[in-house]
Amino acid sequence: MKLRPPTGRRLANLAVSIWAGASALTGIAILFWILYVVIIRGIGALNLSFFTHLPTPPGMGGGGLANAIAGTLALTAGATVIAVPLGLLAGVYLAEFSEESKAGDYSRFSANVLMGMPSIIVGIFAYTLVVVPLGHFSGYAGALALAILMLPVITRTTEDMLRLVPNTLRESALALGAPRWKVTLAIVFRAAKGGLITGILLAVARVSGETAPLLFTALNSPYWFHSLGEPTPNLTVTIFNYAMSPYPDWQQKAWGASLLITLGVLLTTVLTRFLLREKKV
Amino acid sequence: MSSYNLTFPRLGRWALFKRKSNLASREETVPRTEVKPPAALEVVERVARAATGEESLPESAAVLARLGLTNKVATRDLNFFYGQTQALFDNHLDIAAQRVTAIIGPSGCGKSTHLRIYNRIYELYREQQATGEVLLDGRNILDPSYDLMELRRKIGMIFQKPTPFPMSVYDNVAYGLKLHYTMKKREMAERVEEALSRAALWDEVKDSLHRPGTALSGGQQQRLCIARALAVEPEVLLMDEPTSAIDPIATAKIEELINDLKDHYAIVIVTHNMQQAARISDFTAFFFQGHIVEFGETQQLFTKPAQKQTEDYITGRFG
Repeated sequence: MKLRPPTGRRLANLAVSIWAGASALTGIAILFWILYVVIIRGIGALNLSFFTHLPTPPGMGGGGLANAIAGTLALTAGATVIAVPLGLLAGVYLAEFSEESKAGDYSRFSANVLMGMPSIIVGIFAYTLVVVPLGHFSGYAGALALAILMLPVITRTTEDMLRLVPNTLRESALALGAPRWKVTLAIVFRAAKGGLITGILLAVARVSGETAPLLFTALNSPYWFHSLGEPTPNLTVTIFNYAMSPYPDWQQKAWGASLLITLGVLLTTVLTRFLLREKKV
Repeated sequence: MSSYNLTFPRLGRWALFKRKSNLASREETVPRTEVKPPAALEVVERVARAATGEESLPESAAVLARLGLTNKVATRDLNFFYGQTQALFDNHLDIAAQRVTAIIGPSGCGKSTHLRIYNRIYELYREQQATGEVLLDGRNILDPSYDLMELRRKIGMIFQKPTPFPMSVYDNVAYGLKLHYTMKKREMAERVEEALSRAALWDEVKDSLHRPGTALSGGQQQRLCIARALAVEPEVLLMDEPTSAIDPIATAKIEELINDLKDHYAIVIVTHNMQQAARISDFTAFFFQGHIVEFGETQQLFTKPAQKQTEDYITGRFG
């Protein structure tokens, strides 16, 4: 028997360390590369009229994407209004009341599958459900598609966050004579508040950059945003159209819109981070 | 990016599809709580049989009777099941009013399980079942018609780890009050102060009533939980290893507090610490593998145990 020399071990250690470090760097580098390019090329497009004016025909110059900004905000808000109550309640059911029942398992599994569902398929689903019967594209269909994408994210984060609340907290509230629903609302929700808001913000961030589900539903529009009942202007489809166009001023607007969305998602993510840190009550 | 991570940790739950739910079969094998109270005649007969020595009183009832004490809580033929596994076997135990009763025994012997039946907190878990009787002032609380809110107002519980609610010190105490009573703001403030004073915490928190309860030290948190339980005016206090998660100085304070409180409440304390049981309790029940092996006055039980198993346990030969 002979002691194994440490050389091989040290070499392997060095090799794996370099490999892992390089992989991490690559990931970060790509993120910063995208950020850098988007900022450099998009910053020029962001001026006052970008936020206040309607789009102009190619070649005219000037104008802005005010309608698309308003439309995207409305679509996201609409989706949030639909998905948050459903998602929260579904999460409450899974964490507090399903007790490993069949219905709970099926719901949880469905949420997992839905979370991995390609967004374009969700878009086509909303198209058949709303656009076909109504006979025209509409913001409601878009909001519905986005809501379907948000639902599983909110459901699963809600469940996970509620499960982090220790059972002894529930028991001690029940032991005081509190009914189950009050324990859930007043104690468990409060204890998990930071996590629940995080889940919602993550879901918002996730859908605010979606394009595919809007192509079949909200479509796009060069006019002012009036209601979700008609084709709704939005940033992501605008990016898609403008980026493919041959006109330099449209292309620049696409860069500007990209920067705006990126900043929005970044801000939301940073905000969630911040809330998570605050969560230690 | 991080939202995708959520998919993975729980995919293991697929396994649950394969595990067949056997709740239904459990319900068949485990008899539901006996609802019918014994007919009056039957009670009279039982007392008569006991008097003539035909049927012996449970040990704890006999001890209390000898000392002329009344029982606040009595368990009779109490059995408990976790799913198919029986955890308690025919527990007969009497809890004296205005005394401290300690429950000791090795880990897993059913001490906490026994305690958790008194306020039916076990009902939170669907697979747990109790059969037999737990009589509070003579009424069986296991009877489903017994109002759960009333029961839990009368029987307060303190847990092993302090569990302050995620709200201010004041709101922690007011929470229980609001559940059970309607009162003016000023009366509420008085009741909160009274409860905090009785839990020997008022002087330490009177200037920080609106800070979060979670910001207190561990010992203070536990006294806050005691104040919270006292505020709703319970008659019985259940304590499930209340000092096992806090330091010795805070423990001494809580033991002192228990001593002060026993004039007003029947206190049952589950403890791993035999010195603690000896210090603060009047009666001690020794549990082993779900059976109550011995019950007696604490001094008696610790100096002259009647059972070999009790002696082995308190002298440290096992457990």
